[in-house]
Amino acid sequence: MTEQIIFYILAIVIAVFSILAVTSKQVVRSATYLLFVLLGTAGIYMLLNYYFLFAVQVSVYAGGIMVLFIMAIFLTHKPGIDVNPQDSWKVKSSAVLSLAGLVLCGYIILNNVTRVYRFVKGDELQMQDIGTAMMGTDKYQYLLPFEVISVLLLACIVGAILIARKDNGNDENINKLD
Amino acid sequence: MLLYSQPLELTKLVHSLDAFFRSSLSPFWATLVEGILIGIAILAAYALIALALIYIERKIAAFFQSRLGPNRLGKYGVIQSIADMIKILIKEIIHVNKIDKLLYYLAPFFVIVASVLSFGAIPFGQSLQAVDFNIGVFYVLAVSSIGVIGILLAGWSSNNKYSMIGAMRSGAQFISYELSAGFSLMTIVVLSGTMQFSELIEGQRYCWNLFNGHIPAFIAFVIFLISGHAETNRGPFDLPEAESELTAGYHTEYSGLRFGFFYLAEYLNMFIIAAIATTVFLGGWMPIQIKGWDAFNQVMWYIPSWIWFFGKAFVLMFLSLWVRWSFPRLRIDLLLNLEWKYLLPINLVNILVMVIIVLSGLTLADIFPAVFGK
Amino acid sequence: MSFSKYISGIYTGLKSLVGGMMVTWKQFWSKKVTMEYPENRKTLVISDRWRSELIMPHDENNEHACTACGICMRNCPNGTINVISKKVVNEEGKSRVALDKHLWDYGMCTFCNICVISCPSNAIIFNNDFEGAVFDREKLHHQLNHPGSKLREKKKTVPAAPKTPVAPASEATEATRPTPSVVTAGTSTSPADNKTDNAPKTNPSGNLSNEHTDKENN
Repeated sequence: MTEQIIFYILAIVIAVFSILAVTSKQVVRSATYLLFVLLGTAGIYMLLNYYFLFAVQVSVYAGGIMVLFIMAIFLTHKPGIDVNPQDSWKVKSSAVLSLAGLVLCGYIILNNVTRVYRFVKGDELQMQDIGTAMMGTDKYQYLLPFEVISVLLLACIVGAILIARKDNGNDENINKLD
Repeated sequence: MLLYSQPLELTKLVHSLDAFFRSSLSPFWATLVEGILIGIAILAAYALIALALIYIERKIAAFFQSRLGPNRLGKYGVIQSIADMIKILIKEIIHVNKIDKLLYYLAPFFVIVASVLSFGAIPFGQSLQAVDFNIGVFYVLAVSSIGVIGILLAGWSSNNKYSMIGAMRSGAQFISYELSAGFSLMTIVVLSGTMQFSELIEGQRYCWNLFNGHIPAFIAFVIFLISGHAETNRGPFDLPEAESELTAGYHTEYSGLRFGFFYLAEYLNMFIIAAIATTVFLGGWMPIQIKGWDAFNQVMWYIPSWIWFFGKAFVLMFLSLWVRWSFPRLRIDLLLNLEWKYLLPINLVNILVMVIIVLSGLTLADIFPAVFGK
Repeated sequence: MSFSKYISGIYTGLKSLVGGMMVTWKQFWSKKVTMEYPENRKTLVISDRWRSELIMPHDENNEHACTACGICMRNCPNGTINVISKKVVNEEGKSRVALDKHLWDYGMCTFCNICVISCPSNAIIFNNDFEGAVFDREKLHHQLNHPGSKLREKKKTVPAAPKTPVAPASEATEATRPTPSVVTAGTSTSPADNKTDNAPKTNPSGNLSNEHTDKENN
């Protein structure tokens, strides 16, 4: 019963704040609401005894990405100003799209909920299990090298910076031409 | 035998309380009552430690500056911080115009909640730990990272350019130094093979991690102290509240209890950093034990474990205060230089060295199993 | 930046940090300079140059040197002094102006010393009785001339300023004190009428170093 009460509280928090996050007219505020959504999700992980995932969610999303979000928003032009509502057809179309997404996801989850239950273990997930899943070489293991491929993303970012950066030599040439 | 030999330990009290609630209430209500009691105990400890820390800090700061510090209220001014607390509780909360009200009122809670959450997972002594996650170290790192959002929101919602600059500096500083703090703790996780605080402490019974991992552990310890110090916005790293340039930084517009939250969290974060360093590097609440010297070990156990814990943490806090009152404030570019050009690369190499040492069996426990082995 | 430079930079950095911490470590154990005020009243030394309360020295005959000329009143930058004069008739039948009341407001005075400098007859000086706090604002209005006092006859030397309860500065500080640069009428050399305002501090130990609250970090 305790778990159900906590789950409903978390679910309400997630639902309310995700709606607030998209309807708020101030960018910083909607970022804060999004933070609450992420923290609520972390709470659900904790409810499932997935402490590792909880900590990852909090440190990566709440602690890392949200800080970057907020700092990026601070750097934009006049972050405190109210954003004007979009065209009504845009609002309507996005509402229809999100409803369609909800229906699709809901349908899939409802039909597969019994299958999901088989994989959810009630007991606490040990750090050692995660470690062997990452580094081991058996079936359902060897996750880390797969994750390492995400370094590719970093390479993409570095490449983007290289392309976007003006070369000093080129700058001088432009100045000379001017 | 053990209980008889540890007269001041709180283990027995905690266990008998637990047994009492389990026997007299249904499981749901027993959990609820125990949860509430633990919550009250943690909040009370939080406030009391903050009060003690404020007094200690003022006294030590004064001694470093050849002053006497608070000495009027009570003997040696010991109840000065209680008077200050009463003052800050009854102070007027000044309402500021043209702020983002919601975020302005929300921001101090982020800071204090992050601080309390990480405070709750610290092992203060034998069986004096509220939760013992199997990801203990990682959990503390994760929840303490929420605090910086409170600082950023406080700076932005105050609608004040000094607050804003302070908040931006704080954000940049926190994100940078969190990396180093995390990596240096991970170095020790590599050494001890666990993230759980209780296992970390048990593994350090005969040899602290600081000595067990010798060179890389010592480097990790120094890096953790530096980056932890920077994360708490203190000492030479207090740019977010550099009073000479930013009045008070991100909490310029806060007053009364809301300012008190920031103030409290700052002091407690210092304690939390010291407590984590104690637990991870210096053996936590475990008394000094030497293999084979049973009589000596028994005498050491007579000193209760929480005194060991607070004693070790106090030494680290004294170090932190010593650094704070010794060095001038860093410039922002030098601050980021220190992290990204020095601490982080050294840290990454350090982890590699630690992995090699552990794999090739060069830790002290491996070399001298008769003296330091588990 | 070469690699060896990087390593040596780390080394010198750590060395200088440890050096700095050793300095503060010595400071930590040094003797504290704080003077605890109410406890040390017996031994407290206040510099003679400390201006605290304006007084008018009276001699044993209850006579002062004030001629009620009003120069101090006119020179006072913020109207702290009010000299009320009266007409008296002396033995020769001449009516002369004499001092009735010399009023001075402790609460308004900025202790600039202009009144003392400008007084042609050296009738007023600042003493160093620094404990001037009172519970009633009215008590800050001082009347400097004692009741029933009168102007001293000419060709009498001005007595030295009365010693206050607080112990005077030591002889060593007297010797190092610069001589007054501006000399007004009169031959007085009473210790309190020092005219130089920009003279260096002569007795640092006399300054009360009050307890600082150390919440600077906030």
